[in-house]
Amino acid sequence: MLEAIFSLPLCTGLLTLFLPVRLGRAMLVAVALIHLLLTVFCWLLVPAPYLPHYFGNSPAGILVLLVTSFIFCWIAPYGIFYMREQEMHSEPIFLGCMQLFLGTMSMAALADHPVVLWIAIEATTLTSAPLIFINRSKKALEATWKYVLICSVGIALALLGFFFVTLSMDRPGIDVPLTFSALNDAAHQLDPLWLRTGFIFVLIGFGTKMGLAPMHTWLPDAHSEAPSPASALLSGALLNCAFLGIYKVHCLLVLAGLGDFSGNLLIGFGLLSIVVAGVFILNQPDYKRMLAYSSIENMGVIAVGIGVGGLGLYGAMLHLIHHSLLKSSLFLSAGNLVLGFGTKLAAQCGGMARLLPRTFIGFFAGFIGISGLPPFGIFVSELMILIGALQTGHPVAAGLFVAALLLVVAGFARIATAMAFGPVRNEVLVQEQPARTIPPLALLLASVLLCVWMPEPLYRTIVNTIAMIGGTVHG
Amino acid sequence: MVTSIDVVLVITLLSVLLSLASSRMMALVKIMALQGAMVSVAPLLLDKHSSLSHEGIFFFQLMFLVKAVLIPVLLFTAVTRVAIKREVEPLVGYHASLVAGLGLILLSAYITRHLAIPSTGKATLLLVTAITTLGGGLFLMMSRTKAITQVIGYLMLENGIYLVGTALTSQSHSIYLVEFGVLLDLLVGVMIMGIILHNINRTFDDVDTAYLEELKD
Repeated sequence: MLEAIFSLPLCTGLLTLFLPVRLGRAMLVAVALIHLLLTVFCWLLVPAPYLPHYFGNSPAGILVLLVTSFIFCWIAPYGIFYMREQEMHSEPIFLGCMQLFLGTMSMAALADHPVVLWIAIEATTLTSAPLIFINRSKKALEATWKYVLICSVGIALALLGFFFVTLSMDRPGIDVPLTFSALNDAAHQLDPLWLRTGFIFVLIGFGTKMGLAPMHTWLPDAHSEAPSPASALLSGALLNCAFLGIYKVHCLLVLAGLGDFSGNLLIGFGLLSIVVAGVFILNQPDYKRMLAYSSIENMGVIAVGIGVGGLGLYGAMLHLIHHSLLKSSLFLSAGNLVLGFGTKLAAQCGGMARLLPRTFIGFFAGFIGISGLPPFGIFVSELMILIGALQTGHPVAAGLFVAALLLVVAGFARIATAMAFGPVRNEVLVQEQPARTIPPLALLLASVLLCVWMPEPLYRTIVNTIAMIGGTVHG
Repeated sequence: MVTSIDVVLVITLLSVLLSLASSRMMALVKIMALQGAMVSVAPLLLDKHSSLSHEGIFFFQLMFLVKAVLIPVLLFTAVTRVAIKREVEPLVGYHASLVAGLGLILLSAYITRHLAIPSTGKATLLLVTAITTLGGGLFLMMSRTKAITQVIGYLMLENGIYLVGTALTSQSHSIYLVEFGVLLDLLVGVMIMGIILHNINRTFDDVDTAYLEELKD
């Protein structure tokens, strides 16, 4: 039953590649809805997996799956109306690969076997490459080449890391199947040297895919050149899946008593990512690249939160949810801007507030949210990570964290205000349309709603996710 | 005493050195076919795999088919389509690459000595070969500018990782399903890289990655 969540979009995705466009569009929306229903069903009823050696519903995986499924449900209809306005060479490929991409990401979220997780994450690279490539411009070509090559090499290193983790089981008296849940139970018996080596490789490997600096070089290119619905998925869902890979191995290390080692590495890479993103955002002329760098920053925030532990863990999980909601909303708004003004340069988008009022609301509210201001959730999550860092004795990291975040907000604010209220430069090419303005607003609304009212099952899922490695909600 | 596994591993090592020193694309593809064949038979010759189940035999045949036949054929068509004969200006020269390759072997031998891994068993050369292949692949990717050579470098890296996996994991290949998944990813990856390669060639009239530097900050 559990396996249906990823096998359904995989099958329909393959089928859609050969279907006529109209049918494919209907299929995409239908699959998005059914996937969300299935996910909620599996989340609340917890069915047993058919292949327990390979798949399982860990709380962390279910959390990532829920976020992915929810934002996909909004991106899918938006994508159809977005693609209508564009000259499309091969829409069936776009429609099919969107579903395949959803399928591989769900598979990554549900994988319990390390190598199956690896296979799924490598498959996400392969299924999303055609999405970036769909425009076939020179720049898209370059972005896709870098994406496929850098991520494949990075992920290959993660496979090496998993072999080292497997090697840590090579001790007398350990006879457990090679699954994360079984390894977690036997964590204290594992060989610490190989666990550490494995973690370094997994961190570098999946860190490449997650966009942690200095392995982030593919991310701004891919996110800015992909069509906006694909960028929204890449940023809002794919990065979480790569994060999940790192998180699972980090849990293993914490349970084996090596939490300080992996935590400090995560804090280091996380802070570096926030600083690098801040520096590149400051003078960024391209607003989609700006959003991409902001994703690097937010992944850094999540890494820091996981690294400090305690309350920071809860903050990191909240941050993951809210970042996905806000960033996918921002990329969808950015898609409306690309259609409206026909450019990705922020300087050419002056007067957005007057020309595209609804897009402006979405974009500016998203900007406020992603900068960590209330009433959006990132305010709460960043505050929790900060408190967590101070409580667990990382004052230097906390100071750097705040300074780097300020840098990002400063850069972001300059560009966003200039775009919203600057002088009018261009005519509007494609007018706004409810089908393309409602999804970004709905995602924003979800973020605000989650801030004031957290459903009980979701709260329990987050607490279950972090309880295993000592995360708390009460400071 | 020279055993068959040693012969296979030495050929693999030589194939790495050859690939670092060769400028002709066709020669590179042939070397990759040879290396793929050697890498896919290596686990069979290790003692721990002496008894094979039916699915094991099937899997190794599939492995051989993909690594030694299917992927080289894909590379072959890519090379003939883009009609390039050789790498003209590598970032690191061929002689320097060869010396680097030799250095890599020494480094791998050093690493292997200091790792003290129990499960390598009889084939002491296995881990040396694995790390050299891995490093050679990375080196090839970084020191060459033609996109197709970079794909070949990536394949070599994957071969190396597969050998590391064979050398390190003591469990026998009981989980063919998982290995099959890895293989499938590899195959689809090469196909997608081939499609992008074809488009790069059509757009720029060359497959030199030096053209791909428009996107930067």
